[in-house]
Amino acid sequence: MVGVGSEAQKYVWEGAIPLQIHLHESEITTLPSPEPALILAPRIGYLPLLVPQIKPYFSDTLPPGVDTVWFDFKGMPLKWYIPTGVLFDLLCLEPERPWNLTVHFRGYPGDLLSPCEGEDSVKWSYINSLKEAAYIINGNSKNVMNMSQIDQFELWRSVLNREMEAYLRISSKLKLGIVGEDYTKIVMSPRQSNNEADSVGPSRAGRIPVRLYVRNVGEYTDDLEDVPPVDSWDRICYMNKPVEIQREEGKIFNLYDAIKMLLPEFFPDEPSIDEELSKLELEDEPGIGGSNLSDPDPDTNTMRKTELVTVKNETQLYPSHPTGKSEIKLVRIQGIEPKLDIPFSWVVTNLINPEHFLHICVCVGVSQDSSKTS
Amino acid sequence: MTSESPNSSRKVVVHLRATGDAPILKQAKFKIAGTDKFAKVIDFLRRQLHRDTLFVYVNSAFSPNPDELVNDLYNNFGFDGKLVVNYACSMAWG
Repeated sequence: MVGVGSEAQKYVWEGAIPLQIHLHESEITTLPSPEPALILAPRIGYLPLLVPQIKPYFSDTLPPGVDTVWFDFKGMPLKWYIPTGVLFDLLCLEPERPWNLTVHFRGYPGDLLSPCEGEDSVKWSYINSLKEAAYIINGNSKNVMNMSQIDQFELWRSVLNREMEAYLRISSKLKLGIVGEDYTKIVMSPRQSNNEADSVGPSRAGRIPVRLYVRNVGEYTDDLEDVPPVDSWDRICYMNKPVEIQREEGKIFNLYDAIKMLLPEFFPDEPSIDEELSKLELEDEPGIGGSNLSDPDPDTNTMRKTELVTVKNETQLYPSHPTGKSEIKLVRIQGIEPKLDIPFSWVVTNLINPEHFLHICVCVGVSQDSSKTS
Repeated sequence: MTSESPNSSRKVVVHLRATGDAPILKQAKFKIAGTDKFAKVIDFLRRQLHRDTLFVYVNSAFSPNPDELVNDLYNNFGFDGKLVVNYACSMAWG
């Protein structure tokens, strides 16, 4: 449907994070110190776009010099081209509201962050991400490159102002829709999915651009508040890997399958998903509780665990715990921790960012009892 | 490390192609570790061409963000065993 959008999409587009922004103490030249700025940051937006709103709070106290604005969270410089909602989901595991950030107008850490010249840089980055996504979906970026200047301007303006309907109207011309958009049909009558696959055409059509952020929290206690803040981007593994939606008769390709495809090292080869399902079913036997509105299919209803599967093998990603068991602790998309049995095409259609990438934050850790075996 | 995935040690062949008035490099082909970030390719070009401002593209199509891994770019956009990187001194493909 062009120009309408689902309710979930509206939540994503309207989603915002309350920020409390403090000026870094080294840039305060007046007494009393300025009050922090309280501001709502759109989830799908980018931090540099907030600067025109933030600057008036602090302009009177800044030392002389040229503005080169950047932000940090507990000392970690924030990458400006990652959508604000993703930064929050990834770095603030136990969501704090307001989110306390520090702004700097001087001393840009050029060795850690790529240069940013305000809105123009953000727009450039946005359009290039969109072209990259288009390339993954269609095998080229022509639809984006051939956009008229007016359409490109309008598209960017709709993202900037969070006008979802205008955005959907223009972006529909780019033909970046995914084949799974008719997921409701698949959910309702899984037996027919094979027939649909025949009419789908080239296999590329099912490729979903994903930006994946894997945060290793090391020793993990179940209390997210105890997880120490990330101090360096080196602690986060950033991956760009498309997910190819697989269609099998009678089976829905769900978020679990997608995560398994993205991070196979956390899923031992032996048990197939079906076996795994029945195992979990057994474990979950007493109390099937927890109504599942999103998926009427009772066969997949048992995948309610956020804790996935434990793998004993060492992985190159997590060399710090060579003998421990690294496991997936958390999967977060657009601020929610979706049930893993949700059809992946639903996730893509509703939770995708406006540059057509699905940003997935994954948190992995080592259970405390097994981490001391080295 | 007992087992290493084939990706971890792989080198990726990068083909550098000048676009517009950008100078052509003597060595247009080089190998880079797949685990390096695209930023390394950009830095290499900046040093070779002695320019701070440079526009770097993949497949004459888009500029990846500097944090993307060369491996990911090769897997997603490479062909014929190489990753084609275009560079220009002014914006070539908006």
